[in-house]
Amino acid sequence: MLDQLALLGTGLVNIFDPLNFSMILVGLTIGVLAGALPGITMLNAIVLVLPFTYLMGIVPSLLLMTSVYCGGVFGGSITGILFNIPGDPMNVPTTWEGYQLNKKGFVSKALGMAIMCSAIGGFLSALIMTVASPPFAKVALSFSSFEYFAVVFLGLASVVVIGTRSIGSALISLFIGLFLGTIGMDDIYGVPRFTFGSRIMETGINFTTVLIGLFAIGEVLDQLSRKNKEGVIDHFRPKTTLPRLSEIWALRNTMLRGLGIGTVIGAIPGTGATVSSFVSYGVEKQVSKHPEKFGTGVWEGLAASETSINASTGGAMIPLLTLGIPGSGATAVMMGAFLLHGIQPGPLLFNKSPEAVYTIFVGMLVCNLIMILAGLITAKFFSELMRVPENILSAFIISFCLLGAFALRNDMTDVWFMVIFGIVGYFMRRYDLPSPPMILGLILGPLAEKYFLTSMIGCGNDWTVFFCRPVSGSLMVISIGLLIMPFLRNLGKKGKKGSVTA
Amino acid sequence: MAHNNAEAIQKRTAPSIKSLSGPILIFLLAVFFYVLSGRLDENPIEGQLGAFFWPKAILILLMLSCAFKVLESFKGIGKGVADTGLEEQAPEVNTGKLILMIVVLLAAVVCMETIGFSLCNFIFLLVFMRIAGLKKKTHLLLISLLGTVLLLYLFVKVVYLPLPKGQWFFSDFTIFLYRVLHII
Repeated sequence: MLDQLALLGTGLVNIFDPLNFSMILVGLTIGVLAGALPGITMLNAIVLVLPFTYLMGIVPSLLLMTSVYCGGVFGGSITGILFNIPGDPMNVPTTWEGYQLNKKGFVSKALGMAIMCSAIGGFLSALIMTVASPPFAKVALSFSSFEYFAVVFLGLASVVVIGTRSIGSALISLFIGLFLGTIGMDDIYGVPRFTFGSRIMETGINFTTVLIGLFAIGEVLDQLSRKNKEGVIDHFRPKTTLPRLSEIWALRNTMLRGLGIGTVIGAIPGTGATVSSFVSYGVEKQVSKHPEKFGTGVWEGLAASETSINASTGGAMIPLLTLGIPGSGATAVMMGAFLLHGIQPGPLLFNKSPEAVYTIFVGMLVCNLIMILAGLITAKFFSELMRVPENILSAFIISFCLLGAFALRNDMTDVWFMVIFGIVGYFMRRYDLPSPPMILGLILGPLAEKYFLTSMIGCGNDWTVFFCRPVSGSLMVISIGLLIMPFLRNLGKKGKKGSVTA
Repeated sequence: MAHNNAEAIQKRTAPSIKSLSGPILIFLLAVFFYVLSGRLDENPIEGQLGAFFWPKAILILLMLSCAFKVLESFKGIGKGVADTGLEEQAPEVNTGKLILMIVVLLAAVVCMETIGFSLCNFIFLLVFMRIAGLKKKTHLLLISLLGTVLLLYLFVKVVYLPLPKGQWFFSDFTIFLYRVLHII
């Protein structure tokens, strides 16, 4: 314990080395900006900074990358709250509540709350990572495809809680998303599906194009085509207001749940921030006393999603540092940086380079604190855009979307998909078909299929196996509970109404 | 008040053809893809579920969801998860403007590879902002021009994104533009 504290002290001293500290600042700025721009993901940004780490030692390199990582997962929330454009899929639940809060006139506070929840979630999960890495990693590693499927199934089950007006519409949207996720080359059997002979279709539909299209293009078309407005909205400049301590304290339980879900799911290789943010949002809605208000601008929804997103960063570092297993694309690139410097992450890392490890631990703690400042500055920059008249802003949003879709693979096919899904998104709004379940299905569908089929191959197609293992069984029961709860609640309401009228 | 309630009840119990057409159309599409999956699913490995098991299962669930939605429209079951009771009044839509925006958007994508991003984006911004309601010609021209230059600097010079340069003489024009702007 004393050794650990001494190493943390050394790490703290190392952090304030000018190079190390400036790497945190640079990384956070790049990360938040990249996360906020649709089409440029946090992972893109980490890959882009990787070549620069050749010139540095391992500590500043990893501090740079972890800062990009922490900033990047938060950045997408800013544009989500301001313009209904989530920077990354993980920011979708934040967008549902944040944009509604913006519409209600709480944009400043929503931005501030998102920043604080992200910082608190990230800080506490980094703290958990510091003290509990080895035992945590062992538990996460004991998971097999059965448990992975159960985790993803839990994410998919949350669709009934994100379905706004009608469960039927939400389910249709979800299954369309799941179906879209099956288009392209099948991962397990290597068979092309629904490609109609097109080579381009073999790579499948990139969910980012669908995400940008449904949210950004759909929103622009919807706003500008309304008759009661002439293309110009109120010119205002929202100021980001950090929430008061009492407001944060009021959300303590929500944030604790988000922290727990984010850290645990983040530590499971292959899941990460996107799954954790959906699960956290879904769970929050289920435990809420007013679930019917979710989707209309609810602080708990925003806090749950934001806390879990950044909490997953600490969780994702656990298997990388303790076992040398990258659990996500971002940590895989970081592993590349370790290897570039001749260091093999894993159990021996704590013996061979303890100073480096503890500097990274402290770096993540400090990084999440400085993120409040970085978030405020970036939010201020993006808030300035709110003063631009809607007719100009909308045209530029579409230009950015076209560029963002093209940047994914430097391919016009993605631009086409984005535009088509934009138009589809507009009509989905008009006909009251919710788009979030479709996104959820498209993101989680391929994961669910992979884990389901792997499990089936391993156990001779016996699906009851998911219920026979303690972890997967518990998760499946929770998921089924989530699925049937709205129906039961509805029946309860009808019963009450019946007794009142009688 | 009573009249409003009666209207509300009618709204809940009598679904319009328009509201049913969506689920029915999706149901038919699901049936089409299910039949297609059956045809494509050749020689699955014995003892394994095969590549088309998952999409088929999804399509069956999609069909059931459509049926559920139709049932929901008639009976009102499943409604009210976050429902306040009545449907919100849909805002009035300027259909002409909507069609125009969609056409311009599609035209921009069609033209981007032929005339190059820089020219295409300039024209797109100009036309789209005009449709969206910006009337001053000088503003339109300046914003489109400066906006395009800014995007070119950001994405070509800083991010090294190989944006479409266009074909034939449009390609030469784009390269000329990049040189003038010191982008390359």
